[in-house]
Amino acid sequence: MCACRCGIKVHLENGKLRYIEGNRDHPINRGVLCGKGSAGIMTAISPARLSTPLRRTGVRGSGEFEAISWDEALRIATDRLAAIRATDPNRLALFTGRDQSQSLTGHFARMFGTINYAAHGGFCSVNMAAAGLYSVGGAFWEFGEPDWEHAQLFLLFGVAEDHDSNPIKLGLGRLKARGAKIISINPVRTGYSAIADEFVAITPGTDGLLVFALIHCLLEAGRVDTEFLVRYTNAHHLVIDAPGDAEHGLIARDAAGRELCFDRSSGALVAAQAVGTDPALLGEFALPDGRRARPAFALLAERYCGPEHAPEAVASRCGVDAATIRRIAAEIAEVAFNQPVVLDQPWTDTAGRRHATMTGRPVAMHAMRGVSAHSNGFHTCRAIHVLQMLLGAIDTPGSWRYKSPYPKPIPGGPPPGKPGTPGGPLDAPPLGFPRGPEDLLVDEAGEPLRLDRAFSWEAPIAIHGLMHMAIARAYEAGPEAIDTLFLFMSNMAWNSAMNPGETTRMLSERDAQGGYRIPFVIVADAFASETVAYADLVLPDTTYLERYDCISLLDRPIGSAEGPADAIRIPVLRPDRDVRPFQDVLIELAGRLRLADFADERGAPLYSSYADYMVRHERRPGVGPLAGFRGEDGRGIGKGAPNPRQLERYVENGSFWRHELPHEQLYFKHANRAYLTGAKAMGLIDDDAQIVLQLYCEPLQRFRLAAEGHGLRRPPLRLRERIMRFFDPLPIWYVPLEEAMTDQVRFPLHAITQRPMAMYHSWGSHNAWLRQVLPENRIYLHRDLAAQLGVRDEDWVWVRSRNGSIRCQARTMDGVNRDTVWTWNAIGKRAGAWALKHDAPEFRRGFLLNHVISEYLPKRDDEVQHSNSDPVTGQAAWFDLSVSIEPCGPETHHETSPRPAANPLRVRWAAENS
Amino acid sequence: MKPAASVLLLTTSTGFGFGLLAWLGAYSALGLLPGHARILVVVGVATALLFASFGLGASMFHLERKERAWRAFSQWRSSWLSREGVAAVLTYPVAIAFAAVFWRDGQVIWTRLLGVAALVASLGTVYCTAMIYASLKPIRQWHNRHTAPDYLLYAVFSGAVLFATLHTMDLGAPGATASVAAAAAAGVALIAKRAYWRHIDTQTPLATLAAAIGLPKGVEARPLDAPHFTENFILRQMGFAVARRHAVKLRRMVLAIGFALPLACSILAGLALAPMATTTLAVACAGIGLLLERWLFFAEATHVSAVYYGRRI
Amino acid sequence: MTMLPERAPGAKKLGLVIDLDTCVGCHACAVNCKEWNTGGEAGILPDYDKYGPEPDGVWFNRIHSYETDGEGGSRTVNVPRSCLHCEDALCVTVCPTGASYKRVQDGIVLVDTDKCIGCQLCSWACPYGARELDEKAGVMRKCTLCIDRIYDENLPPAEREPACVATCPSRARHFGDLADPDSKVSKLVKERGGVDLLPGLGYRPTNKYLPPRRATIPTAPVKPPAPSGKGIGTALLGLLDKALSR
Ligand SMILES: Nc1nc2c(c(=O)[nH]1)N[C@H]1C(S)=C(S)[C@@H](COP(=O)(O)OP(=O)(O)OC[C@H]3O[C@@H](n4cnc5c(=O)[nH]c(N)nc54)[C@H](O)[C@@H]3O)O[C@H]1N2
Ligand SMILES: Nc1nc2c(c(=O)[nH]1)N[C@H]1C(S)=C(S)[C@@H](COP(=O)(O)OP(=O)(O)OC[C@H]3O[C@@H](n4cnc5c(=O)[nH]c(N)nc54)[C@H](O)[C@@H]3O)O[C@H]1N2
Ligand code: SF4
Ligand code: SF4
Ligand code: SF4
Ligand code: SF4
Ligand code: SF4
Ligand SMILES: [Mo]
Repeated sequence: MCACRCGIKVHLENGKLRYIEGNRDHPINRGVLCGKGSAGIMTAISPARLSTPLRRTGVRGSGEFEAISWDEALRIATDRLAAIRATDPNRLALFTGRDQSQSLTGHFARMFGTINYAAHGGFCSVNMAAAGLYSVGGAFWEFGEPDWEHAQLFLLFGVAEDHDSNPIKLGLGRLKARGAKIISINPVRTGYSAIADEFVAITPGTDGLLVFALIHCLLEAGRVDTEFLVRYTNAHHLVIDAPGDAEHGLIARDAAGRELCFDRSSGALVAAQAVGTDPALLGEFALPDGRRARPAFALLAERYCGPEHAPEAVASRCGVDAATIRRIAAEIAEVAFNQPVVLDQPWTDTAGRRHATMTGRPVAMHAMRGVSAHSNGFHTCRAIHVLQMLLGAIDTPGSWRYKSPYPKPIPGGPPPGKPGTPGGPLDAPPLGFPRGPEDLLVDEAGEPLRLDRAFSWEAPIAIHGLMHMAIARAYEAGPEAIDTLFLFMSNMAWNSAMNPGETTRMLSERDAQGGYRIPFVIVADAFASETVAYADLVLPDTTYLERYDCISLLDRPIGSAEGPADAIRIPVLRPDRDVRPFQDVLIELAGRLRLADFADERGAPLYSSYADYMVRHERRPGVGPLAGFRGEDGRGIGKGAPNPRQLERYVENGSFWRHELPHEQLYFKHANRAYLTGAKAMGLIDDDAQIVLQLYCEPLQRFRLAAEGHGLRRPPLRLRERIMRFFDPLPIWYVPLEEAMTDQVRFPLHAITQRPMAMYHSWGSHNAWLRQVLPENRIYLHRDLAAQLGVRDEDWVWVRSRNGSIRCQARTMDGVNRDTVWTWNAIGKRAGAWALKHDAPEFRRGFLLNHVISEYLPKRDDEVQHSNSDPVTGQAAWFDLSVSIEPCGPETHHETSPRPAANPLRVRWAAENS
Repeated sequence: MKPAASVLLLTTSTGFGFGLLAWLGAYSALGLLPGHARILVVVGVATALLFASFGLGASMFHLERKERAWRAFSQWRSSWLSREGVAAVLTYPVAIAFAAVFWRDGQVIWTRLLGVAALVASLGTVYCTAMIYASLKPIRQWHNRHTAPDYLLYAVFSGAVLFATLHTMDLGAPGATASVAAAAAAGVALIAKRAYWRHIDTQTPLATLAAAIGLPKGVEARPLDAPHFTENFILRQMGFAVARRHAVKLRRMVLAIGFALPLACSILAGLALAPMATTTLAVACAGIGLLLERWLFFAEATHVSAVYYGRRI
Repeated sequence: MTMLPERAPGAKKLGLVIDLDTCVGCHACAVNCKEWNTGGEAGILPDYDKYGPEPDGVWFNRIHSYETDGEGGSRTVNVPRSCLHCEDALCVTVCPTGASYKRVQDGIVLVDTDKCIGCQLCSWACPYGARELDEKAGVMRKCTLCIDRIYDENLPPAEREPACVATCPSRARHFGDLADPDSKVSKLVKERGGVDLLPGLGYRPTNKYLPPRRATIPTAPVKPPAPSGKGIGTALLGLLDKALSR
């Protein structure tokens, strides 16, 4: 049901849902279900389900619609999109939320020919994905997991729930059962942090500093795994040190393009990846052309050994005392170097060396949105990966591990697709991995081509796009730039909007002629969300038990460190309403639009349904949405001809497929010959060469050089300084942008949100069971702070930021950083939505912190207004918010504010018309 | 604990009824009834049964499944509620036999024996009622050595004022013994009630939150989040609490209306000052006062399970 | 029969062991319990005001969160609360109808909803707040220890455990026979110092709770080294002097 994608077994009784239970054989959840999963029955019968295609009749946002037929709905959509495609395909902007079919929606966009496509990651955790994929070829974000069976020390940075919610809970349970130590670094002590053996109440946005201090202590004590560094990372690669030179800061290469290092045994520069050398990690060396160069590690050591990175220097800023930082560093060193895990498992590395055992550092780390949802999150996440590399704790027994199909060659895939022939498809998927300025989607002047400004100098490595900017930018761009905004499975007018008040205004604003500034909005949703009211055309989706779904390796897979896996969902209920699976609808739409890969040369549709597409579509020869049971005989693993009986085979196997890797392939995947050749054979990767971990992130330097004026593609002047500052190839820390630009005397507190374990974003509230748990939320603050402000439990307070104020109720606690206030995410609802009664607590006392978050940073005269995002990746900086709290006077209305007027869906049915 | 009207009426009204029956029985047993008091006995027993039946009837409203009420008689071996039912039902034939024989024979040995039986049965029933509450370990305000004697006392007291009224109606005056008995019962009940309050005010809570969640002594615990936002059955029932300010006021009213006024009235009636008015006033005051008293008995009672929600217990 | 049964020799004492050191407070067990028992043989667990201002309903299991101050400082503890299947179950003996009973063979405390008159006395007798009135059917409800799962011969043996145990994602809930000293649960209780809730009240609950603990990693005390000016420390230099082999 959610992005965790657990396997479920559904029991029916007389065609009705009786019980949903976890599938015990399923690799993700092994039989367990979370509260939301267990409440699936109530989701399936929710009164908020949409029941028919709708066309807007009232003004946008009024909620007035008429019911139309599917035929008509598809005709409207087809006509509109065909017209766009004929003129400028980019005038279609397709944004999708946390759906499991991004490989389909992305492929649709590519074939349609629009670069304006983005998915969930941009407002979610692209910082984690980008930092990981550019550093280690995997990522915390769904692409890796701790070695729960061997880790002795586990550091958890900023996680309340995560995409991997059940696996993490299962894992924490394992660590607990084994008596391993869990340290949670988080401003708030609830959930996972509650059971941590040590809780570090860090000040939001300062994890980078804390990690640098840990690195500082380890360097100071000489506790780094130098052997690991030279074998598996680019620590010894020589970095050209020639300020002003067009190659300054790049890695020195020989004529054949091979990176160089200095071999101490031969005293010569040699190919860095050559075997049997004794690479220097410190020192300065002359290159054949006379320029100087230093090993990447030397730059790193120099930087983090500096006194500004000592625990004592960062303690007060992080809110963690120096002694604690030093002790944690000592514990890390103790476990990593004095308690190695040695598995009796021979393996062979990419250099052909046979190792008798697999030896690992049982220090595992995991991080998610507490790190990523800050505008310094990319670098902070890189800092954590650097710490892991220094410890030799990447994909070794006891450490963090790749989930197959990761690792992937760094940075993880091709650059973003560019428009090909007019009216034709893009040359690559719309979301990709820029390696340097040449891969950006910018015009001659260096200005963005994409609506959300992803892959521009404002957010060069925005590998998932900037979802949170879609509506604001579409509004800004106006009708000339964007015609249709097509939203799928995302509540973008409410809880995934920064500043929903502004967002809904933008959606409903008209020009003098009465036309909407965003001309046409299509929303594909299953429920009566806040956003549905702002659609011109509503495509009602089935609920998750009424359709096929595909959890594909081409998408965000469900593999684990033990091997790749994918899964399908099959419909178990027949919809009792006039709704259709969105994927079927999109495939039909693609057929009607005669998109390549969806229709043949004569324009006949290729696929009858999503199920059909899942089986027959081939992205590359032999590679399709499903990796299991391929080939005529169903024996193909990963690659093989389409198998007409594939879905049956999946069902027989519990609706999932999993390939278990042999023991020899379970660790060191980035340099494990057997693994890499196997992965290539399965089609998981194209190249089976060693994946060299990037301690030093060279692509960043390429952008920086452009900002210094090198190369043909350079950032506009106004952005040069910004690129220079933020594109440091070694991790840096800076005050989160919004915080740095906000008056810290007026707004001295950090404000953040957490996911409640029993709610999924906006759509728990229409579930009769889940809403009993959390129908309203509170702002939580430290008891000392509360006492200082004169606030008691349940008092009404104003939470103010530079963007506005929210009236809500407070609750006090001890387990929170003293300068931080927080609340549960997405509990507050707009009156009228979700088929709740007019006096539901979700409207009256539930609130969204989003109302005081702005999608823009403060405007400075000398600059364009930047989005509230990470400057490297465009990740939405939800958690950079600075606020103040003040008690409401006695005149308090016992209701939250702002409270936009109710706009329940009012549907006119055809029968009523006639 | 949440005071439920049905239960307040049950305990108060059966108190009056069984108290009255106890007095009739006792008078008869001790031979204090004049032989010609046939009407007094029959009307008295009828009134007693009326009060008792009203109370027992009211209690039916507390049952969610009234049609199954008959099942409640089955568990007399362990359940005080079951015993109460059985005892109440047994009291009826005894009372009726007592009245019938008295009607026929007046004061004879049989009526004296039946008087004893009525006394035992009625007070026994009251005792069972009291034990329903007194046996509930999670409620310190009930599970103590005051509850059972207090219930008996209040029944004896309310029965006494009622008896005095009937006595007056039948014989023109309450008679010295009845007045003295009523006044004395009022006085003792008043003292007992104050002793009870002193007791519950000085009790320590049954448990700390730490003990409730299995943490060792010395650990302090505070609720952070309750399982659900809205009030649930447990909180509605066991989490009910009356404001301290309110309780103090109500206590004063109970003492004044429930005990002091009936006491004064009984003395006046004993002194033959407008006996009909004063005895009736005593009954009315006792009725109101005892209903209030019973309301407080519930409202001031705390249930240990409320500690899980951080409520005062 | 609401008399408590004599404990027969060899009778089981089935119950739960809940690990407060591992419970993340996710409500999964509570919701799954609701799901199982809503459709299960025990009948429907009602909800009131499903989409209105005061959503409420009957739950057999509810999850609380607390903050505590004790040795080693403040911490957050999540506490799932359900029927503990007490040995001295006053909730049973007070029941006037025989609807509440404790099973001889395994100690499970149940309500026979066909007999219950909804007098609610049992809920008053339970110090743990484990019984909730079904205001629609007018009968008392409580945790059944999933008697319709644990004895279901149609289920594979591994699945014969309560719904809340099967679903708990952090595996903080354990089910077994606490009368058998060699059972997994008895061993856990022994090893981890399992405790009774409200031991002072004398109900002798069967369910046990494992207290929170803290794992530590002993290290020598670390003092910040004297400021060595700038540059790279001697320890690192020494380390980097050693030959490496790529
Ligand atoms: N303040 C604050 N705001 C945040 C965050 C935060 O931490 N703090 N987190 C951000 C993050 S990471 C994310 S991912 C976003 C999430 O925000 P959204 O992507 O907006 O997530 P949802 O609220 O789940 O909205 C998903 C929509 O999908 C619909 N839906 C559910 N099931 C189906 C289905 O089967 N088919 C279809 N077609 N539609 C369906 C729902 O009705 C809902 O309208 O929120 C962001 N917003
Ligand atoms: N139940 C449930 N599960 C979900 C979702 C849901 O809505 N409900 N949503 C899914 C989605 S879309 C996503 S993206 C994932 C996200 O899952 P998580 O990554 O767990 O995201 P959040 O719940 O936003 O938690 C962020 C955590 O970071 C902490 N934090 C905030 N700032 C900082 C900081 O500066 N430093 C540190 N160290 N910590 C900080 C917060 O206190 C909080 O505990 O969850 C997914 N799973
Ligand atoms: S985490 Fe919960 S909601 Fe998400 S897939 Fe798993 S069981 Fe379903
Ligand atoms: S927990 Fe309550 S309901 Fe369960 S057996 Fe004990 S006293 Fe009875
Ligand atoms: S409510 Fe039902 S189970 Fe409880 S005591 Fe009354 S009759 Fe027995
Ligand atoms: S044992 Fe069964 S009935 Fe009892 S709490 Fe667990 S799931 Fe609910
Ligand atoms: S499911 Fe497990 S972890 Fe979650 S609340 Fe229940 S016992 Fe705790
Ligand atoms: Mo997300």
